[in-house]
Amino acid sequence: MMSTSDKDFSPAESLQLIRSMIETTKTSISDKSHFFLLWGWATLVGCLLQYYLSVIANYPRHYYAWFVTPVALLLHFIFIHKYKKEDRVKTFIGEAMGFIWFIIGISYLALAIVFSKIGWQYCFPFYILLYGIGTYISGSLLKCKPMKIGGGICLVLVAIAPFLHYSLQMLLAAFAILISYIIPGHLLRNQYRKQKI
Amino acid sequence: MFKELDPILHSQLRLAVMSLLMSVKEAEFTFIREKTNSTAGNLSVQVQKLKESGYIDVNKQFKDNYPLTTCKVTPKGIEAFENYVKALQEYLQVGK
Repeated sequence: MMSTSDKDFSPAESLQLIRSMIETTKTSISDKSHFFLLWGWATLVGCLLQYYLSVIANYPRHYYAWFVTPVALLLHFIFIHKYKKEDRVKTFIGEAMGFIWFIIGISYLALAIVFSKIGWQYCFPFYILLYGIGTYISGSLLKCKPMKIGGGICLVLVAIAPFLHYSLQMLLAAFAILISYIIPGHLLRNQYRKQKI
Repeated sequence: MFKELDPILHSQLRLAVMSLLMSVKEAEFTFIREKTNSTAGNLSVQVQKLKESGYIDVNKQFKDNYPLTTCKVTPKGIEAFENYVKALQEYLQVGK
């Protein structure tokens, strides 16, 4: 139990207390990996399902695969509601992450409107670019090196994408999601779980 | 000549609260109580002292019909904390 007594409270003990409180807060920051995993898996399913419908099943309405997006959006709002009660502390990093992903989410929607007008044949490089920007910044803020590297690799994949056929771009986007969202998302989750123990 | 250590901050629980709030944007009272391992009564008194000194802002509201108290450090609190740490470092330099 912490007392308010100032007796024998030396400068060294003061500094030790400051250090330990900062360390305590650092390991108590809530786990946000579920959002990376939700959108990572949803997008991976979307890409692979569209590839299957388009290339293997030869189904003309292969874009139906992206009905996975409204389902993921619904789950996203359920997660927000569910985890709201656990958020007893607001951090500057959490706030910055919120702003970044909000604007990236809006950018996805804005691009969807643009591509629905001009055609979807070059949509994947732009979407991979947004995955890269978002995960590179998030990885830097969260000090999650695998996410930062995944985001960086996405930017390389953006440059490769226009040289590939549309159907292969779907697989490229699936790979981008795997390295920037899913693998770092699982690593992040394990890291938070270890901190909690 | 040593700077005098700020008496508001040179108290274990108040210093713990300030250290905790320095590294976040804001925190709920229950979170602070848990992390500082203090009693609600004792923490309330110390939080009130920090508030009266202008070092923290305390916001009381209701969430799902339950009272919710959140605290965050003010610019005056940040300055006081930084000065306190500087003073501590001076003490420790001489002690070496």
